[in-house]
Amino acid sequence: HPWLASPEEEGYLSLENICISRPYEVDIDQNSQTDPGEEETSCSEKEDDIDDATLVQSNHHELHYCDFHIVYSYTFRVPVLYLRAYCSDGRPLLLDEIEKELPACSSKESPETKWAFITQEEHPYLKRPWYKLHPCGTSEFMKLLFLGGDTGQPKLEVVLELYLLSWFSAVGQVVGLRIPCKMLNDRR
Amino acid sequence: MAKEGSGSILQFAPFQSSVDEGFWHRLSSLKLNKFGIDDSPIPISGFFAPCSHPQVSNYLTLLAESLPSDSNEESSIPAFNRGNRNRCSVPGILYNTNTMESFHGLDKQGLLKAEAKKIWEDIHSGKVLEDSAVLSRFLLISFADLKKWSFHYWFAFPALILDPPATLVDLRPASQWFTLEEAESVSTACNEWRNSSVTADVPFILVSVGSDSRAAVRHLKDWETCQDDGQKLLFAFYDPCHLPNNPGWALRNFLAFICARWNLKTVHFLCYRENRGFADLSLSLVGEALITISQGWREHQCVPNAVGWELNKGRKVPRCINLAKSMDPTRLAISAADLNLKLMRWRALPSLNLDILFSIKCLLLGAGTLGCQVARMLMAWGVRKITLVDNGRVAMSNPLRQSLYTLDDCLSGGDFKATAAVRSLQRIFPAVVAEGVVMAIPMPGHPVSSQEENSVLEDCRRLNDLIGSHDVIFLLTDTRESRWLPTLLCANTNKITITAALGFDSFLVMRHGPGPFNSTPDLKVEMPNSLSAVMDNLALTNTDGKQRLGCYFCNDVVAPTDSTSNRTLDQQCTVTRPGLAPIASALAVELLVGILHHPYGIFAEAEIANSNNGGSSELPLGILPHQIRGSLPHFQQMTLVGHSSNSCTACCCTVVSEYRKRGMQFILQAINHPTFLEDLTGLTELMRSANTFQLDWDDEIEDADDECIEL
Repeated sequence: HPWLASPEEEGYLSLENICISRPYEVDIDQNSQTDPGEEETSCSEKEDDIDDATLVQSNHHELHYCDFHIVYSYTFRVPVLYLRAYCSDGRPLLLDEIEKELPACSSKESPETKWAFITQEEHPYLKRPWYKLHPCGTSEFMKLLFLGGDTGQPKLEVVLELYLLSWFSAVGQVVGLRIPCKMLNDRR
Repeated sequence: MAKEGSGSILQFAPFQSSVDEGFWHRLSSLKLNKFGIDDSPIPISGFFAPCSHPQVSNYLTLLAESLPSDSNEESSIPAFNRGNRNRCSVPGILYNTNTMESFHGLDKQGLLKAEAKKIWEDIHSGKVLEDSAVLSRFLLISFADLKKWSFHYWFAFPALILDPPATLVDLRPASQWFTLEEAESVSTACNEWRNSSVTADVPFILVSVGSDSRAAVRHLKDWETCQDDGQKLLFAFYDPCHLPNNPGWALRNFLAFICARWNLKTVHFLCYRENRGFADLSLSLVGEALITISQGWREHQCVPNAVGWELNKGRKVPRCINLAKSMDPTRLAISAADLNLKLMRWRALPSLNLDILFSIKCLLLGAGTLGCQVARMLMAWGVRKITLVDNGRVAMSNPLRQSLYTLDDCLSGGDFKATAAVRSLQRIFPAVVAEGVVMAIPMPGHPVSSQEENSVLEDCRRLNDLIGSHDVIFLLTDTRESRWLPTLLCANTNKITITAALGFDSFLVMRHGPGPFNSTPDLKVEMPNSLSAVMDNLALTNTDGKQRLGCYFCNDVVAPTDSTSNRTLDQQCTVTRPGLAPIASALAVELLVGILHHPYGIFAEAEIANSNNGGSSELPLGILPHQIRGSLPHFQQMTLVGHSSNSCTACCCTVVSEYRKRGMQFILQAINHPTFLEDLTGLTELMRSANTFQLDWDDEIEDADDECIEL
């Protein structure tokens, strides 16, 4: 009999469309960048694209958004935080632009004190390049967090939840995500 | 923009588009795998949701799911999950062209009219009552440049123009229009509507509030049943716009539908908006619009005009997005390659200087067993600029030991090694800047006829230029005499020079010391050529009195017995144990990286392994030896030091200054007259002052044609 698929579905946790920047206004008139060749089309338009019923805004809010996914890594045997960021029109942001918005993950800190390292890697499910917090330090700091275990043998679900919460409390800081205290206090 | 009673023109905030990267990935994949050059229009879906934040509008989004699947399924209609409250789907059509010219040549007016006509037909046929999302049908034109990975695109959200335009009688937050009781009931009803997967994504609805303040949300097709005078009836729609004084674009076609279908002159509408997933009636707007329809609207055949091409930051130009960084395989390879080195720096070697590795230019003289391996090791360290010099062709036996070649390179007489090597490097890592030079290196003791003189001189000059334009030179040829000229030229210009040489079962890897006329980091020494005696002294030592390290020829000590046995060996020196070349090549590159990370670079003193005299093991990469000699039979390796010799035939100041004085003529003389160099430098003196050191095994350099230089 061939292998049966695991009863649990494989997947990942996702948190999407998190706005990571303050809106800043871009004055339309000052924006003069064009792609070469784009001018042709606009000059050849005779008809009016705008009618009186169209609201034309004089400014334009540029916002950056971030998607976060938590994926389990079989190689490292730990959860890994994947992230990607983009502008409001969908244009992806590069790492240096992301780091401006999430200062905790900037690479300017000295390498010794920094434990989070952002690398570009293919998302295991979406098969596109995302950024991820490199997991090779994870098991080290998880050991630190898990020292001094509770007495008694907690149930697996509790251990898992505790693990994920602890993991996320450390990792989330790098990207500016925090767990509400209520969530930490409420667990059984 | 008016609020109350002024009856000004109702202005709508246009839809804003947002295209997820995944959409372009899938479009590229479809073009490459399925559609090819077929540019028929493609049905797609856009997704939007009601506004969810008081300060930010929502967008009409395209995702990978907006396109048909790129696997071989029969359906051309994209399959998506209905009932997703965050993704209300809207039908659209994509015209993707094959060239930039055809992109600019599309009849935009015509395409917009065609989509407007579809909306018009849906209004009159009753389709809207079944699937109201068709009122927000959209159009997208694009050109996907799959060579540069850039995508040019332009959205249009066709809106039927009311002529004369609708006027706004009143517009206020919904919480101010309803009573408190009504508002609560409306919120509840809307939340229920939005929470049910059957209705969550129906974007045009009726909201009726009875005289008992009880609200109900209904489908458009139930309009007839809502004709109760006691009721307030609002035409509601999911509004992605957040603005307090303007409704979103979707209302335009909704009004067109309402007046064409039901012939109403006054329309009360509700711009439905949410906050954190729940109906927000202070963000939502209720307005009253007056519509005057012209005669033409009753006639089905007469399609009204339409507007709707999206502005790009206020200008009527298409948008462009470049995704090379995430789609171009070469770019991805570059960032993956960098990753390894950066990880090394992060986890193990914080002082790793990647910038210098990325920027140095390496010249490899010889593209054989040593040259191929050194090139690969350099690339592994992040070196991107590599030039290989070799005048040979790839022979059938080469691919086994020379790791850049395969059988294909041997066919038809064999490609030139220099060109085949470059091709191979580019296949391994497309971003490498590799150049191949097919050239022989002029050698002393191999006299040239007068016809050949000019071409030999040309080669000398070319070699000199190559050395001048690179930062590091590797001497990886298979004869001793072929190393002479490069050594001299490098000593003259003080370039980092690394020699690797193989015997049958032993190897030598060494870095040449600085040239005789060098400026130390602290002191610039200008030496006029006439003061040869003074120069001699100065040249041997650095300012702190230490001798400069020697070159390959300074330290070349060959016991008489060895050179005799060497003479019988094949001049091509293919007879070495295969393991030697990879070992020696690897050490040569590691030695280079050590030099590049040493504060004194080429001037660095030699260190010996296991020395107790304060060798700088503080340097993160470890010690920086002068020479490494290895022996495979003993599986042993030793680090040695050899200082420069006053009588070195390649790097002593006599020779270098002679070269500086007479240039190519001097070279030619050395090439043509075997004893010239010995006479110039006084070789017996060299024998006397040569450094001696204990060796555990027979020192073996490699076979050499020993005619010219006897040591």
